[in-house]
Amino acid sequence: MPQMNMVQAVNDALRLELKRDPRVVLLGEDIGKVGGVFRVTQDLQKEFGPDRVIDTPLSEGGIIGAAIGMALYGLHPVPEIQFSDFIFPAFDQIVSELAKFRYRSGGEFPAKMVIRTPVGGGIRGGHYHSQSPEAYFIHTPGLKVVCPSNPYDAKGLLLASLRDPDPVLFFEPKRVYRAARSEVPEGDYTVPLSQAKVVRPGQHVTVLAWGAMLYEAIEAANQAAALGVDSEVIDLRTLWPVDIDTIIASVKKTGRVVVVHEAPKTCGFGAELIALINEKAFLHLEAPPVRVTGYDTPFPYTLEMDYLPLAGRILPALVETARY
Amino acid sequence: MSRYDFKLPDIGEGVAEGEVVAWHVRVGDVVKEDQPLVDVMTDKASVTITSPKAGRIAELFGKAGEVVKVHSVLVSFDLSGGAAAPAATAAPDAPKKDPGPAATAVGDIKESLPGMGAMTVTATPAALAAKSAAAQPTKPMAVPAADDYQAPNGRALATPATRKLARDLSIDLNRVRPTGPQGRVTKDDLRAYAGRGSAPAAVEAPAAVEVPGVPSAAAAMTARAPVSIATPAAKGGEALEERVPFAGLRRKIAEKMALSVHTAAHFTFVEECDVTALKAVRERLKPKAEALGVKLTPLAFIAKAAVLALKKFPILNAAIDESTNELVYRKYYNLGIAASTDAGLIVPVLKNADKRSLLDVAREIERLGTDARAGKLKLEDLQGSTFTITSLGAQGGLFATPIINFPEVAILGVHQIKQKPVVRDGQIVIGEVMLLSLSFDHRVVDGHVGAAFAYEIIKYLHDPDALLLES
Repeated sequence: MPQMNMVQAVNDALRLELKRDPRVVLLGEDIGKVGGVFRVTQDLQKEFGPDRVIDTPLSEGGIIGAAIGMALYGLHPVPEIQFSDFIFPAFDQIVSELAKFRYRSGGEFPAKMVIRTPVGGGIRGGHYHSQSPEAYFIHTPGLKVVCPSNPYDAKGLLLASLRDPDPVLFFEPKRVYRAARSEVPEGDYTVPLSQAKVVRPGQHVTVLAWGAMLYEAIEAANQAAALGVDSEVIDLRTLWPVDIDTIIASVKKTGRVVVVHEAPKTCGFGAELIALINEKAFLHLEAPPVRVTGYDTPFPYTLEMDYLPLAGRILPALVETARY
Repeated sequence: MSRYDFKLPDIGEGVAEGEVVAWHVRVGDVVKEDQPLVDVMTDKASVTITSPKAGRIAELFGKAGEVVKVHSVLVSFDLSGGAAAPAATAAPDAPKKDPGPAATAVGDIKESLPGMGAMTVTATPAALAAKSAAAQPTKPMAVPAADDYQAPNGRALATPATRKLARDLSIDLNRVRPTGPQGRVTKDDLRAYAGRGSAPAAVEAPAAVEVPGVPSAAAAMTARAPVSIATPAAKGGEALEERVPFAGLRRKIAEKMALSVHTAAHFTFVEECDVTALKAVRERLKPKAEALGVKLTPLAFIAKAAVLALKKFPILNAAIDESTNELVYRKYYNLGIAASTDAGLIVPVLKNADKRSLLDVAREIERLGTDARAGKLKLEDLQGSTFTITSLGAQGGLFATPIINFPEVAILGVHQIKQKPVVRDGQIVIGEVMLLSLSFDHRVVDGHVGAAFAYEIIKYLHDPDALLLES
């Protein structure tokens, strides 16, 4: 089985689906000739031609608007937003049109598409190349939100997303793009949406994380183990609809939970997760649920590694929660 | 010279008074300790009461044939001579502390019994402490007295999981002394509290609020050397037993059952009842009830029949108030309907069964059952029953000996309706037959009265027209 990084795994999934389904169309800034700023779409235009892999003008609203039109007419567009920080010009198209087409057409026009976009910090990108805007889209009914943490899941989740009838926002953690390598099967397979994965079983405290922060959570869990705290780390993989059953089963076991995400704390996805846990596992809680997140500030360039909820900030949260 | 008042001691078993049969002494007599003073007849037995002290009789209270109350003064002594004990006369309202010998006495007077509902916890912690001191048994109980801890402001600090455990164990968190960080009650605190052997102050079971220090039903259960179960040697690392806390609802049930069988004189009367006509009436009315959203069960008819019979035999709807030694005839008819739940037996109460229509009785029984199984019963749903019906269902057996829901005096066990041969007009025909197992407290209800009550219920179940006409 070949070793791949996440860039290669996503590229592989896109190639597979372009081959398998003639309705699949890629569009975005610099994705064709250049192969994308992160080279995720490398060589795909060469292989499938400029009608299937389309370089677009620098207009996110236009990219998503055009993709919606394609979807309504039966294509399966896969637009790329070069950085998720740039998704806001397309915000109206996504939340007002894309998310609602299936609903307002009574299911006649599902507007099936996967919006791929790199997410998160840790690459010295500054405040316009580092943000994590997942909560805006989780908040909007009609959208699915996925964020893989490793190459295997990236390919499997992308193939599952491409075959899902609903619009999916597919957030690719750019810090992991080339940092993580894993065995990725050749050919077709899917990782089902809405299935979280317990990546490190434990007894004392549940840690919820996704994307690049999963590695920080695992690192913190390993350090906590040396202090006698046995953490159960869960990779959510699909953020929405979230696999609440796996989360609740774990929290009922441990009675304690720490949520880790890069996005600012206030109204971040961690808030929703903890609210759900309070609703469904309140009587099992042994300690107040804790969030370890980015700060309620713009994403800083110079203090990037202080802003991110890295292992050094997760570890005390694990220990304090376990010993509460 | 000092005076000593000797009071009629509590002779036990709920005896509150005795009739003076004969005095063995006269005023002015000098008596020795243990010398017979007087014969007193109670409703159980004649007792000769001996002198607690040496001294001269100063005054006798009560002539032969007169009735004297327990704890009223029987004899006054003049204590002469240096060896005499100091005066023990206490202010009349001081905590009662009988210095008398009273070999038959069983400690101090009980002001109430747990489960009687007469006791409410409204006193301040200081008053509670005083009360528990006053109620301290003269002999130490095998069970340690409860800790009088009370959380400040009545708001114990605990995590949700600990609160859940407290609820499961029927422990009032406010009574548990916290040892956790920031003054929190921890699960270990709860386990320590539950494992102490004294009954936790329960909030779930009806009228089971207990005051620390007052001997509880639990204490009564364990007021002897506790039996311990030895753990057999494990072989091959395989556990041969599992130990779970005997606590919460299970312990509460145990206390109530033990209190009932140790107190009431159970007498069980079993008779069968041909309910062929009742079954037909029910079949006829069922669709109409269903149209109104109500499942009409035989139990609803039985409840109504029980109410009619209770009105004719009010003693079956009575209870003994042990604190005042009165029979309390209740003129309201709240029927406990025993229900089995995953957690164990509970008895929700069908309130004012006499004032409800048959339909309404059926509806309310259904609600109580549903809420009981869902764990949604409110405290008021569990309180105030005057008579209890236990539906023994498909696995009720031939007959049963139900245990009275103390302090009620009777409980009706209802068995499954089965087809059986019955003789009607000289012919053997297939009839719908049900057995009733009625347990009653023979202390209060004589055998023929209990039987007549059972036959009254049977009359109505046999003739549903009469039931519908009269209820």
